[in-house]
Parts: sequence; structure tokens; C-alpha cells
Amino acid sequence: MTNVRTTCPSFTELADYWTSDIPDAEIERIETHVFECAGCAQLLADAEQLTAAIRGIAQDGHFQAFVTDGLLNQLARDDVRVRTYALDPGETIRCSAWADDEVLVARLRGNFSGVTAVDAEMRLDSGEQFGHSVDVPVREGTTELVLALPATMVRSVPVGLMRLTLRASGAPGTNVIAEYLFDHEGAHERPSH
Amino acid sequence: MGSEAASIATLADGALARVVCDRSADAAAAETELCRRFGPRVRLYGLKHLRDRAAADDLAQQVLLIVIERLRAGEVRDPDQIASFILSSSRMVAGSLRRTSARREQLQARYMDYAPATWTDEHAIDAARIAPCLAAVSERERTILLLTFYAEKSSSDVGRALGMTAVAVRVARHRALASMRACLENRRRA
Repeated sequence: MTNVRTTCPSFTELADYWTSDIPDAEIERIETHVFECAGCAQLLADAEQLTAAIRGIAQDGHFQAFVTDGLLNQLARDDVRVRTYALDPGETIRCSAWADDEVLVARLRGNFSGVTAVDAEMRLDSGEQFGHSVDVPVREGTTELVLALPATMVRSVPVGLMRLTLRASGAPGTNVIAEYLFDHEGAHERPSH
Repeated sequence: MGSEAASIATLADGALARVVCDRSADAAAAETELCRRFGPRVRLYGLKHLRDRAAADDLAQQVLLIVIERLRAGEVRDPDQIASFILSSSRMVAGSLRRTSARREQLQARYMDYAPATWTDEHAIDAARIAPCLAAVSERERTILLLTFYAEKSSSDVGRALGMTAVAVRVARHRALASMRACLENRRRA
């Protein structure tokens, strides 16, 4: 039985222990407590497993999210194979996913002045919705949003046009900021030598 | 033997440390129990400060070897403060681990292996379990989780990238982690 001498931190406080912005005094407080408290040691282990799983899923490219160059740099450091397409508003781009691609990135350029968040909708040529993201944060002065998709997901998309529409969040219907067209050519295998 | 082990498991940390010090018949069981309790905690400390799973395993192994060695030799002044002693040892060894790995070989030649496989990622969350939970949080929260725990950005850096304050990032991160935890628990029960 481990003795408990100080107040137990919450799960989120213990999760903060694994971030890079926790002050040294807080690290020391948590460590002192965890070494004396078996319950919190288990909770800290749970928080570590959760954060490690988030890292793992990112490293495997199994996520869809609007990301930053900082995250793309980390993927590059981890040797994750990323294929990138950059589009201006209204542009149609031919695209495909190769068998060894792990993440596909679309750099969506546009004029986002006065917009703090956007909603993104992807539709297949058939009109079927392929994806929908709500309240994507937009930093003031930004000129592009970076969408990362798992290559496995893209490979499953039928050949044909796919339309991505960005709208200012909270203004459904008419307030379209930009549209981008992906002429999806399907999944490709590399020729064997 | 079963009831003996059970009674050892109910001892407070200090009492457990004293059994090891006393070198009584229960000492071996007490050593095992002490390692079972503190091995995972030292390993977590190592994951935070050494940022490498293999190095964290090494740290846990070395710290427990030192602790048992010092207890056996009666060199721990206050066994009731064993948790504090182990934390101090973790700090000391983590510092030296960054400089050298030689001591491990020396110690392992003298003592048994105290690092059973059960310390390491026993409850690891696989991608199939976590992917739907990550997909279920809001777009903003997902980006924050990825930037924080994968790209290792601080709240301030994440805030700058997303046009949010550091406080708002932390609040959103806490909310997202709570959702993820609840989602994983629901999936475990289902």
C-alpha cells in the first residue's frame, strides 16, 4: 500500500505532464506525488498510453486533420512518406495516391482575410459527401490551409472529380471562400524492376 | 506462499522497505513487490526525461537495482521515505544515463533482472481503438492534440499557429483528452 501525502492531480493535469509547456515546479510536484501514490501512478501511465497512441497514429499517417508545417516537418523527420498538392482557388489539379504514400497533403491557398474559422466539405463527382470538417481555425494573415489525409483513405476514392469547398464557419450556404477540384486518377503501383 | 505474498502486497511502502532491510525470510517477496510497485513509476519518469522507451526501461532497471542494493546494505536512512529515495535515485541515474551506459553491465552482473515484461506497454492502446476516437473529436481539438503530442509544440506555439491564446489551447486540449478517454472507455466496454 502506497501512502498518499498530497492532493491527487486530475487526469488532465497528469496528461499535461507529457506536454512541453509544463513548468519545472509542476513537474516536480507531480513526480513527488506519483512516487507516493499508486492510483495516480496508474493514472499517469494511462495518460502516457493515450498520448503515445496519439503519437503512434500520427506517425502511421492514420489521421485526417488540418495541420501546420511544424507537424509536416515532424512527419518528414519520422520518414513518413507524404505526397503534397498545392492549389489556388478554382484550380483543378490531377492527383493520385501511390502504393507507398502514407499521407496526402493539400495546400489550399486562398484569401482568408477577416475569417477566423472555416468549414470544409468534400464531395465526390456523384454528389456524395466524402468528408466534412467544421470550425477549422484560421490564423490571422494566413494565405493557405494545410489538409492532411491518410493515403489509404484517398486510395479508396473512386476515379473522378472531387470538389473541396471552404466556407466561413457559421455562414452556411452562400459564403464560399474557395473551391478546389481534385481530378483523382486513382491508386498507382510503382513498376517493379 | 500465496498468503505470504498477499500479506506482503498489503504492506505500506515503508514497511515493505523495512522487510528488505531486515533480510528476513520474506525479503525476496518484498523486493519483488517493491519492484512491481515502483518499476512502472520509474519507467514513466524515464519516458518523460529520457524520451526513449529503451532508455526508460534501462533507467527502471538500474534504479531498482540500486534501491535494492542500498536497502540490503542498510544504507537507506529512513525506509518510510522510500518513495522519495526512489525518486531521488531516478533523478540521479537519469542524469548519469545521459552520460554513460557502463554501470548497467556492472550491476546486471551482480543482481537479477528486475524488469519483467509486464511493465512495458501492458495497456498499450492500438490504432484500431484510438483512430475512431481521434476522428470523433472536433477538427480544432484534433489539430491541437496532434500538434501537442506528436509535433511536441507548446500551448503558446499551437496558439500562434491556430490564432488562439495559449490558455484556450490548454482548455481545448483538456476537453479533447477527456473526450478521448471517455470514447476509449466506451469502446472497451462495448
